[in-house]
Amino acid sequence: MKQSIILFSLLIALAMLFTACAPVEDDIFTTARITVSGEGDVPITSVQAQAKLTNVNTRQVITTADFEGTSATVELLRGAYQIDIEGVATCPSGNSAVRMRQFRCQSDYVEFVQHGVNEVTLKTIFLD
Amino acid sequence: MTDMKGQLLFIFIFTTVWTVAVASNADTALVEHTSLERLTTLEAMRNPALHGLGYHTSFSQLALGIDVQHQSQAFVPEKGSGYILPYLGVSTFHPLSRRSTVWGEASYMTGRQRDVRWNSTSDYDLLQPYVLADTLGGDTRRERYSISGGYATSINHWRLGTEILVRAEQEYRGHDPRMRGIVTDLTVRLGGGYELKQYRLGAAVEGNIYKQTNSVAFYREEGVIPEYQMTGLGTQYSRFSGDKRSLYYDGGGLAVTLHASPVDRSGLYVDIQLDEHRYHRKLAEYNSMPLTDLYNERAVATIGWRRGQDHDLAVYGHIDYSRRTGNEHIGGTSDARYFPVIACLTMYKSHVLETYAGALYGRGGWHINMTGGYWEVNEQYVYPHRQMDAGHVYGRLQGQCFIRPSDKWLLTVNAQASYHASTGDKLQMPLANMDAAFISLIDHKHQFLSANYTDLGAMVRADFALKQSRYGLFAEVGGGMTLCSVGEHQTAFHSSIGITF
Repeated sequence: MKQSIILFSLLIALAMLFTACAPVEDDIFTTARITVSGEGDVPITSVQAQAKLTNVNTRQVITTADFEGTSATVELLRGAYQIDIEGVATCPSGNSAVRMRQFRCQSDYVEFVQHGVNEVTLKTIFLD
Repeated sequence: MTDMKGQLLFIFIFTTVWTVAVASNADTALVEHTSLERLTTLEAMRNPALHGLGYHTSFSQLALGIDVQHQSQAFVPEKGSGYILPYLGVSTFHPLSRRSTVWGEASYMTGRQRDVRWNSTSDYDLLQPYVLADTLGGDTRRERYSISGGYATSINHWRLGTEILVRAEQEYRGHDPRMRGIVTDLTVRLGGGYELKQYRLGAAVEGNIYKQTNSVAFYREEGVIPEYQMTGLGTQYSRFSGDKRSLYYDGGGLAVTLHASPVDRSGLYVDIQLDEHRYHRKLAEYNSMPLTDLYNERAVATIGWRRGQDHDLAVYGHIDYSRRTGNEHIGGTSDARYFPVIACLTMYKSHVLETYAGALYGRGGWHINMTGGYWEVNEQYVYPHRQMDAGHVYGRLQGQCFIRPSDKWLLTVNAQASYHASTGDKLQMPLANMDAAFISLIDHKHQFLSANYTDLGAMVRADFALKQSRYGLFAEVGGGMTLCSVGEHQTAFHSSIGITF
């Protein structure tokens, strides 16, 4: 009986300790898919641009120019970002003609914290 | 002349052997409470139920002393290059009856810590790497009040005990950057023991509550420099660094200790300790926004065999593993100085492993303790990847001797020597993306972490028993020197006087 009480007490104490172990979050990276869409109803088929993502908390900067169509995909640290994109957009202008238009996109605060793919769409500001 | 020298030599050897022999028979409280042989029971004393069984004799001491340390260059910049710390303390251990024992300590310490850099927070060892820091630093003033007390009693084969430890400390600087850290630290222990045949089993639970308010102020506007929220290995939380200089730490933890040893102190003994403490760093000026969480986990195991009759003999092995895990809270967009936490990432990891084997031998009047061990630290910041590793092998020799020149006097001599040799190190840093000041800090830390150390120290204590009184007077003086292979050194000095009763 006494041994049982001792063993039970020890088990309770050990259980208390081990349930208090550090919560570890090792999944620190995520995928951000940034899509550029035309200002107003202006359609865009593709862009050639450089995107600069600044981590709001660490001030770390990530750049990419790897756009496929109107989207770029980046692996980055989970967190909140400031996004600046500058480049040239290909806009169809009827009769199979296209028009190259200079643009920029900007957002002061975007959260990329979900596991998996985080999608964000930014509206262009045409500079011409 | 030669005969005279021979006689003097004989008298000297005879006197030494005789005094040691006399001391070995002396069953004084001082010998029992300060004997090196107690090294093998120190860990069990964390269980208050067993602490009460630690000694047979009553011993109290009031001491006024000073600890001085000087480093030619700070071994760890965050802890400064030395200190001058006078103190006044009283401690007592008193068996009330055959069943019950009380013990306690109270002390006040005040003094100066020299040239603390890259750290504006108190209790660096506890909270590192999550401290507030700046590049300037300077001397700090320290003041500490601590008090503790415990009680243990026996009920049949059971042994029960409790102990409370309280520490209040403040550290501050009287010139810019004016750091201030105010600490309150409360620990409560509850322990039990049970005698099962020839063995004494013990288990204890310990709870801790810790708080520190921490701030830095600048009185000269033109002298304001950034305060960094450090996040490990020269990284900082940029968004909340700079002018965010008011924060607090909220923490605490649990510990469990298990113990088994023979009742007659001869045989196999085992001690196991498991600790988990967590410390949350919060920004006071942003509605207590949590910045970082630090989790300190530790597992310690000692297994040994000892025999304690006419000769004390013990051999033991010890392993101590501690892990620090640091989580950073990611602040979202602010709304009226309120920052929601949108994610939490584990960015800092540190492992320290120490293992050693040792042997202790001696008789009542003298003891020798030898240990040989290995120590390694692996510290990493996950992204951008930073890593600093180091390992050491070491050997340590300690000796203690009680000498009784007369009925009134008892001398205690302690000496120790150790050598730590580096077994290798590794440093990976994104140097191209680091500021020069942070590179300098990391270089400095790495240099001292991977160095070899030679350490020598000695202490002499003289106790004088007052005539027909239970009171005695004592004075002790000690010193030490540590030589570091990078060409720097540390000197230490300790002295105290007081009353024993």
